[in-house]
Amino acid sequence: MRIGIDIGGTHTDGVLIDGNRLVAAAKVPTNHDNLLESISQALHSILAGQDPVRVQTLNLSTTLTTNAIVTGNTEPVGMLVAAGPGIVPSHYRIGDHYHIVYGSLDHLGTETTALDEQDLTEAIASYREQGIKCFAVASKFSPRNPVHENRMLDALADEADFVSCGHLLSGQLNFGRRIHTLYYNSAIWRTFRTFTSALTASLKGFQLQAEVNILKADGGTMPLTRAREMPVQSIFSGPAASVMGILATARADQDLLMLDIGGTTTDIAVFADGEPLLEREGISIQERPTLVRAIRVESIGIGGDSLIQIKAGQVATGPQRIGPCMAVGGPAPSLMDALNTASITSFGDVDRSRQGLATLAASHQMDPEQLARAAIEAALDTLVAKITTLLQELNSKPVYTIHEILTDRVIAPARLVIIGGPAMAFKELLATRLGMEVIVPPLYEVANAVGAALTRTTSHLTLSADTARGRLSVPMLNIFRPIARGFSLQDATGEATKLLIADLNQAGVTMQADEIQITQADAFNMVDGGYTSGKNIRVEAQVRPAVVGQLDDSSTTVRMAESP
Amino acid sequence: MLKATTSLGIIFFPAFDWAISPTHPEREERLLYTQDQFREEGLFDIKGISEHRPLFATDQDIMRAHFCFPSVEAVCTESHRISAGGAIQAARLILERETRRAFALVRPPGHHAMKVVHGNRGFCNINIEAVMIEWIRERYGRKRIAIVDTDCHHGDGTQDVYWHDPDVLFISLHQDGRTLYPGSGFPYENGGPRALGKTVNLPLPPRTSDEGYLYAIEQVVLPILADFKPELIINSAGQDNHYSDPITNMQFSAQGYARLNELLQPDIAVLEGGYSIKEALPYVNLGICLAMAGCDYSGIREPDYNSAALRESSGIMETIRQTCAHVLDGYFHPPMGDFEKEGEYFIRERKIYYDTDGILEKQREELKDCDQCRGVRLIKTSSSHLLPCLGVELPIDCCPDCERKGYEAFSRSGKEFLVAQLLDQKNKQFQYRPKE
Repeated sequence: MRIGIDIGGTHTDGVLIDGNRLVAAAKVPTNHDNLLESISQALHSILAGQDPVRVQTLNLSTTLTTNAIVTGNTEPVGMLVAAGPGIVPSHYRIGDHYHIVYGSLDHLGTETTALDEQDLTEAIASYREQGIKCFAVASKFSPRNPVHENRMLDALADEADFVSCGHLLSGQLNFGRRIHTLYYNSAIWRTFRTFTSALTASLKGFQLQAEVNILKADGGTMPLTRAREMPVQSIFSGPAASVMGILATARADQDLLMLDIGGTTTDIAVFADGEPLLEREGISIQERPTLVRAIRVESIGIGGDSLIQIKAGQVATGPQRIGPCMAVGGPAPSLMDALNTASITSFGDVDRSRQGLATLAASHQMDPEQLARAAIEAALDTLVAKITTLLQELNSKPVYTIHEILTDRVIAPARLVIIGGPAMAFKELLATRLGMEVIVPPLYEVANAVGAALTRTTSHLTLSADTARGRLSVPMLNIFRPIARGFSLQDATGEATKLLIADLNQAGVTMQADEIQITQADAFNMVDGGYTSGKNIRVEAQVRPAVVGQLDDSSTTVRMAESP
Repeated sequence: MLKATTSLGIIFFPAFDWAISPTHPEREERLLYTQDQFREEGLFDIKGISEHRPLFATDQDIMRAHFCFPSVEAVCTESHRISAGGAIQAARLILERETRRAFALVRPPGHHAMKVVHGNRGFCNINIEAVMIEWIRERYGRKRIAIVDTDCHHGDGTQDVYWHDPDVLFISLHQDGRTLYPGSGFPYENGGPRALGKTVNLPLPPRTSDEGYLYAIEQVVLPILADFKPELIINSAGQDNHYSDPITNMQFSAQGYARLNELLQPDIAVLEGGYSIKEALPYVNLGICLAMAGCDYSGIREPDYNSAALRESSGIMETIRQTCAHVLDGYFHPPMGDFEKEGEYFIRERKIYYDTDGILEKQREELKDCDQCRGVRLIKTSSSHLLPCLGVELPIDCCPDCERKGYEAFSRSGKEFLVAQLLDQKNKQFQYRPKE
């Protein structure tokens, strides 16, 4: 059996799944001051009458790190940045303890200026004085050569409780993103560690012996041991859980749009051939771009509680939300109230919704029904405009080969899957507006927790080889070793597959070679002075986000425990 | 976080699956390290800098700029269409006001491709700037356009395409043609009889460095642009003036390139040559992008940069000053070339060698000396590989008489010529003579 728990902004959802059958589901309010309590409530509910020992896997999607960053509940980080010429590293300044150490590597990884030991000594002295215990080290071009990061790591050995290190984070080139990601990783490390220790203790109390995985923004999971080293990967996993829920509950084998309609916002995601599309480089945290791999999810300020306003005779819906809808006692008419007034839904106190819209309509000499229709249309307009731009953007993404230009196909979803509270209300409306087949999966209210429960571990690595220099690099695994001149692209993809499997194995995850996807495999002929000197090989391998199984549609007798 | 003060769209298309041959300078690897540098420096994370994919140039797009013999397909592959499509995308971005400036970082290059195309010369098949300019004029009407060719080699192809067009100012700065391919680009090459002075050639001595190059920009290029008042400035941006370039002899730097673009403020830049792919391109390209976006580029420097060692001698500076004075004077008082005439036609007879493909073209150009318009132009061309072909060009301001003459020549061409192509800028007709 598998458990999925998704801690959301408002609710914490939990499901217990046995094979393809949903056994229990629960929805409890999220207590942001005590997430463990919310987890415990959900577990209590779904484990009632079940044998906890039969649970093999518990996957948790948590807002812990997201909230820690948003609320500033972070630890000071000694950020050590090594760079020489190029874009000035002070542009990436983050936190109050940002120090630049002079030293440079070029794009091939050749050291062009040694690390300035005096800069380093001074920075560390200043950290010592301020009692800093968490650090991050980043050097420009470290995935090509970790020498400067390793030197800074060594120098911090006696000072640090924890150090995040650039080349171990990602093999991807992007200095600014590397800095930002490492900073956040170290800033939330202690909070995350404390939480997971308490979580482990609490799970023992439930007699649970399951392996625990943490959800990532890319829709996959990571083993708890890995999460404790890279807690930043647990950020923004909520929307990803919903996306994976679609894969687990709806037929998703072609181009597909997903809308997750909530109270305040709607999340939009796109699937190509049934695979959720990822951000090109990573998501942004507090508007700072990072290397955290993530499913591309566009959020737009339209939800059930979106405020209805009339400005200069124009009816506008969202993006503001000033409270819940009037049907459940809210202060002002919202989209949900409009749906009630237009007799599309009958949610909560319908009369209250009607009264709210009638008052607003009267002050602008409008008919309440007419206002309701206009408010719904305005919301649909905003959604459709966003979907159109998103598809346009996805279809015009840069490509780098003639082959891709000539063969690239257009992503054109013909189906839309809607989940989230108000999903049913929008089904017909969007079907008419978009001319698409619209599906609301049976478990749309807990699709996120189902997604969390059924998603599998994801991982990736970047391998590069330079046969002229006889060097192989797999930065994330800290592998930098010699290779023979004859090392080929085929050798490289084989090696990448093998290494990724071995690394997952080490974390307790079993993967077969056919589950490893090679997403990039290029070999460039390198020429020096008119002669071929070797090959520059670049390989990316990944375990893509996928669910371990699909829920059986017929098994939907769910006990939805609403906590008081 | 960095922010662009002038928004910049970059069409980055390295064509990672295309090469002239495996060890040719124009090979897959050429922009690989530039991409690494861009990625590591986070160029596309700078607010206001965006990345775009190229469009695809159609037959019509190419036939507006060139006479391709025997056909468009025969002389240009998909790679060339995409490269030209990259330049078109750059133009589209700025003319649709999506970005203020644009840089088409595409390959293969185009500035050695002339009006008539039989094959590849100087790594170029079709002139991607010319295809772009004709695309612009087709959609946005007649415009005054300045092309500043900053490639180290003389932009003989672009010069040839616009030789007779007074709406397009072509300025080329390059290493002295007596010391480098293609061996042309002297100040006396200053435009056809109807566009005198609208071609400007500024040869620079070998070992010219930042000071000399920027002197030429400030003392010659900027004053000429101020006089010509173009609606669009295009930088035909070769990067082979760099001190590390393997096939040239100049000593320009990444800082120099960035400053050049800061001074020139081109609306569009299009990549041309530049084959120091590890030592120069990553830094030069980054410098150009930052300068075009109005960002601080002061930190961009090659690892082995040494300004004192690269600095030009006083003798070289003196040569540059003299050439600059001469060229500036030549723009404002263009001397009349000795144009050959037969009856009412100006005649040019030339032999053009396509070094990459080993083709020798023989060409005769007849330009009507018309007082009503720029004159109809007939180009009769054959080569070591091709029977005689005919190109008929009607200028944008074509008078009825020239129009009639042009269409007569085109329709009568069947017996004498293997293929005939019509390039009618006035009525926007671009076609090959249908098979009889």
